[in-house]
Parts: sequence; C-alpha cells; structure tokens
Amino acid sequence: MLELQTKQQAKPAEKKRKWLDSEGRWGLLLVSPYLIHFLVFVVGTSVASLYFSFSDYDILNPPKWTGLDNYAKLFEDPLFYRALWNTVYFTILYVPAKTFLALLLAVALNQKLRGLKFFRMVHFLPVISSWTVIVYVADAVFNQRIGFANAFLSKLGLAPQNWLIDEFWVIPVLVLIAIWKSVGYMMIIFLAGLQGISSDMYEAASIDGANAWQKFWRVTVPMISGTTFLVVILNTIYSFQNFEQIFVMTGASTEAGSTGGANNASLVLMLFMFRQAFSFFKMGYASAIAWVLFLILLAITLIQFKLQKKWVHYD
Amino acid sequence: MKKRRFLSVLGLIGLAAALLISGCSSQSSTQQGDKVELYMGYSSDPPTKKKMEEIIAKFEQSHPHIKIKTMTAPYDDFYQKLTTQIAAGNAPDLWQSDGTKVFGYAQRGAILDITDYVTKEINKEELNGLEFNKDSDGKYWGVPQGIQVGALFYNKDLFDKAGVPYPTADWTWDDVKAASVKLTLDANGKNADDPAFDKKSVKQYSFAFFGSSRGAFNILKAYGGGVLDPTLKKSIINSSENKKAVEWMVDGMQRKLFPNPADLKAFQSNFKAFLSGAVAMQIDIYAATTSMNGAGLNYDVAPMPKGPDGKRFAPVIANSWVINKKAEEQKVKAAKEWITYWTTSDEAQKEWTEVGEAIPVKKSVANSEMFLNPATKPENKKVFLDTLEFAGTIDTNAVFTEWVKVFTDNLAELFMDKYGTDEFITKTDEGIQKVLDDFFKKQ
Repeated sequence: MLELQTKQQAKPAEKKRKWLDSEGRWGLLLVSPYLIHFLVFVVGTSVASLYFSFSDYDILNPPKWTGLDNYAKLFEDPLFYRALWNTVYFTILYVPAKTFLALLLAVALNQKLRGLKFFRMVHFLPVISSWTVIVYVADAVFNQRIGFANAFLSKLGLAPQNWLIDEFWVIPVLVLIAIWKSVGYMMIIFLAGLQGISSDMYEAASIDGANAWQKFWRVTVPMISGTTFLVVILNTIYSFQNFEQIFVMTGASTEAGSTGGANNASLVLMLFMFRQAFSFFKMGYASAIAWVLFLILLAITLIQFKLQKKWVHYD
Repeated sequence: MKKRRFLSVLGLIGLAAALLISGCSSQSSTQQGDKVELYMGYSSDPPTKKKMEEIIAKFEQSHPHIKIKTMTAPYDDFYQKLTTQIAAGNAPDLWQSDGTKVFGYAQRGAILDITDYVTKEINKEELNGLEFNKDSDGKYWGVPQGIQVGALFYNKDLFDKAGVPYPTADWTWDDVKAASVKLTLDANGKNADDPAFDKKSVKQYSFAFFGSSRGAFNILKAYGGGVLDPTLKKSIINSSENKKAVEWMVDGMQRKLFPNPADLKAFQSNFKAFLSGAVAMQIDIYAATTSMNGAGLNYDVAPMPKGPDGKRFAPVIANSWVINKKAEEQKVKAAKEWITYWTTSDEAQKEWTEVGEAIPVKKSVANSEMFLNPATKPENKKVFLDTLEFAGTIDTNAVFTEWVKVFTDNLAELFMDKYGTDEFITKTDEGIQKVLDDFFKKQ
C-alpha cells in the first residue's frame, strides 16, 4: 500500500520532466508566437502601466517616480467618485435588466415558431451595427426636437425631456440603448444554454401538472443557471468597460462642455481615464485609474464567483 | 545542457521578434550620400490629403535631395497617434500642429525652439500670423501652415425674411441682441418681440455660440475681460467686465434668443444649428466656409462685434509647422527647407488655398484675387484679413484643453440655469487656477 503510494507520487514528477524534454519543447516552440505576444503586449504593458501609475508621466517625457501620489490624488478627486458612482449606477440598471430580457427573448425564440430565423436575426442586427450607426437610430428616438420619445410625451400632454443632456435621464437612456444594442448577443448565449436542457425535464414537469410559468421558474431558470452566471459576469465587465457608447453619445464633442454629459452626469471611469490620458497628457494618473478599475472588477468578479455556489447548478 | 540549448533557441526567437517589432516602428534612416528622408506628419481628410500629396510631389521635384515620407490620419486619430509616437521616440521629424496644441508640445519639451531660424530666415513682413505661436518669453515654436480667424457669420436669407439689415463693421454686441429679437421665431412664426411669443417652442434662434474659439471667450474679451492673464499662468475670470459679459449671455439664453447647450444638442452637433438654417448668426472660423458652401447656405461674414467700450476681439488659431526636438541635424535642415518652401512658394500657397481650409499664410497670396474671389461665398473674405489686425489667440497654453474643459463645463451649467453668474465666476476662477497651478507650479 505504502509502496504503491510512493510510486504514484513519483510518477507525475517523472512524467513532467519527460514531457518537458520531448513534446514539451515542440509544444512551447509552437506556441511561442503567442507566448511572445502575451509577454510583450499583455504582461509587458500591464507592468509598464503599473509603473506609470506610481509616476508623473506626461507621455512626451520619461516618467518621474512619485510613489503613491496619483492614488492619493485620485481618492481626493471628486470627479473620481462621480465617475465611479456613474459606472456603478449604469451597472445596477444594466446587468439585471439585460440578463432578464435576454433570457425572456431566448425562451420565446426557443419555441417552434414560423419565421424563427428571421426573428433571431432581427434581434442580432443591432449587435453587429457600429455605435456610429446606433447613434443615428437613438437620435431618431431621443432627439429633443424631432425624436419619437418627445412626440409621444407631448401626445400624452407631458413635458418634453432633454434625454441625453439631462442629468436625471442620461444614464437610464444610455442603459436602454445599450441593452437594445446588445441583448441579441446574450440571447444567443442563452439559446445555446436552453438547447442543452433535455425535453424530458419539461415532459416530467407537465406530467406533474406544471404550467408554462412554473416550468420557466422551476425548470428553465435553474437548468441554465450556469449560462446565467456567465452572462452576468460578461455584462458586468462590459458595463464597467463601456467607453465607446458613452464617448460617441455624450462625449465626442469636446465643445459646449458636453463631454461626459451635463455636470459630468455620464462621466464613467473609462471616459474619465481616456480624458486624463489623451486630452490632458496625464498618463500616470490615467494608469492609476486603470488599476483601480481593474481591482474593483476583480473584487466584483471574485464575489460573484463566491456567490455562485448559492444559485448556480452544474450537473 | 539540452535544456540550456532549448532556452537559447527560445531566447533567439524572442530576440528576433523584438528586432522585428522595433524594426517595424523605427524609421529607417536611409541617407545615401546627401539624400535625406524627411518624415512628415499632418492631419487630413481625403481632399486635404490629395492636395498635400500634390504639393509634396512638387517640393520633391525642386528639392531632389529630399524624399518625404508621410504619416497622416483624421484629426483626432492623428494627435493620438502622434503622442504615442513621440513617447516611443519614432515621431515624425516635422509635423503640422493645430495652433491650440503648439504650446502643449513646446512646454513639455517635444518640439524644437526655432527662434533663430524664424528671426534670421523668415521674412516677417510677408507672413500672416507668425506672432501667434511666440511664447511669453519671446521664443518661436512654429511657423504658420494656415491661419484660422473668427468672424460673425450670418444667414442672409433669415435676415431678409425678418427685414433686419445685415451686420456691419460697426455692430456692438448690444446690436446683435437688438437684431436677435426679430430673428428669433417660435413655431407659430411669432418673433421674440411679440407678446404671444412662445419660449417653449422656438424654431429659429438668432445667435449660436459654443466652445472657446466660437464662443464666450470672444465676448468676454470684447467686454474688456478674459480668461487668463498675459503670462497664461493666472486666471482673471473674477472681474466686473467678465460679469457684465456673462450677464449679457445669460439674458439672451433666458429669453431664448440664443440656444442653450441642450437646444444645440438637438441638432446632433453644435455646428449643425447654423448649417441647417435654424440659427441666423454664429461665431465661426474660416475653415467653416467649406461645410457652409457644401450645404449651399446663403451667408456672408462681418467682423466680430464691439464691446461696450468699443473694444473688439476675434479668435485666431495659427496652425503651424513644428520640428521634432529629437530630429537629427540633417533632417532639421530638410524640415526648414520644407517650411521655407511652404511659406514662400506661391505655387504651394495657391494649391493649399484651393482646398479652402485656411487663410493663406503668405500675405501676397492672401491679398490676391485668387483668395478674395468674390464669386465664391462668403463674398466678404476681406473681413478675415482685416480681422487679423485685432485678433488674438484664445489663451492657448500647455494645459489649454484642461482649462477649456472647466470653462465650458461651468458655462453649460450656467446656461442651463443650474446656478447664477456669481457662482459661475467663483467656481470657474478656482477651477481654472487649480488646473494652471497643477502644471506650472510643478515646473
């Protein structure tokens, strides 16, 4: 027994050495283009940005080491808290709403419908459109002079709103547009999950007398909790990293003080970082923002992984 | 032993890759004999790119020892690319810089002080705008490539319809407001003078202004105020003159004669309000004529109106050729040859004028029939040249984008009635001074 155990322990080590000697060499050699890319462009740049975050760096001149200065400044900067709150607020509205909507759509489009492919395609169209195109579509709805939204409000006898330039509306409207644009993508992921559920489960539920709603909550939702978990993580990361949409919709014009919306109401962390780095030449400060953003995302993701034990089922 | 050889193979691959990467990015300095390869950068859109290539080809013909390699991209991308290139040490030897960015590069040590060249080899009498990129220490950092100067643009059709005479060189800002009352119309076609005028459904505004070069900055100056003192290191926002100017603007916003930032946003871009014919007047720079002609607008220009004491101010932006501080001696020499060619050759100047992008830097060409051509709009192009007499820079310094952001953000709040004039003045004064101190106190 004892002998057997030691043998087993020895074996993997022996195997490992051998692996490195023969196939391993070729393997490493074959993946070396990727490895080099990874070391230079991922590890290298991350280390560099970590270094920059501890220095005063204007891009044009070599960085000067200033220790924790950037971080100290960041935690005193009211705009940082504004940007952090805007980002969190965006996430709170965006992630649950989009996840739920994507799931509903997926369930609907998982039925045997006529023109199923057409419906699936329609929902995927905004996903592949660029933000510059979406801007025009969104403008047709939310333009305060000519948009449908205000025309509709005035029909109801309500006051027109300034949507994208209003402090109150800007984030909810941006979230709405962001959900519309990308819900199709998450729907596809859910569809894949749904197709993995065996029809036996539904049959069994029917025999037990479950109605459609019960089947959805008791069978579908638990069975695809793994997929839901993935979708939630992806959406959270996306909403923290959302830049393009907010930049083109409330930031691209540096005139009229509209960058980041009225009173910085749509200044999110990424926009804050971009502005510091490329408009104001404060690369060190921007790097500090990037690292804080990374740590926040890491923490959130870890918490989500911890919490998944409570609601995610894998079989 | 075997392992070490393996590692060295891996190392070699890494080295090869590194060489490949650095080989791609560093410009090959091919200099056979006296031949110089000059690396030049400029921002462009398709028509300006085509024109620039033609001018380069002509330059290369007359300067056979210089070969020009170019780097170009649309405006925003160009400066992002340029900044990273400077950081990596492979920036062009010479580039065309937006006038508002020259000091940003100069005060961060990225471009060459060319005071010697400018004072000895450039004929100041022949050129427009040379003084605008001279710093407060008297150093020259660039030579104008094209001049932008502001004027009051007005839509003739809207003036005719309202029966208001066109703006003249004698107009004051109060005249602008007096005319505005007639030029602002609501959905029912009633003007702002009419007691039944509906402020909530304005369909036509009289006067749009935004940002710094096209906006409040010029009005503050005409009223005797301003943003920064002559050293460009101190805010002078807190003054009674500024307060008067700001009150003039706020009054116009509140009476809905001028569109506020939210109203402008409805036009997708601030520029489109005037372009679409929904605004009768706008402060704009010469470059705007291209898109206005494209839109088929019936417009002309008048000099910027005067303030209460007869002072007037117009913004000027001298887009300039600047030389990389790290460029090799031979390339600096070639870059100067290019600049001399650009500023003295009638051919180059005329070619560039044809694109309609800027006022020619060479005075003789600017004053020629070719530029002043009354057959193309705006008829009164001479206004731009006359304006150069009283025009000034918009306080561009190393932290220009940063203080402008504070300034325009706070103005937007003011115009949206978030606070009053006094609060605007204290808040902006503090905000701008902080930006300036952050940069200049460190140096």
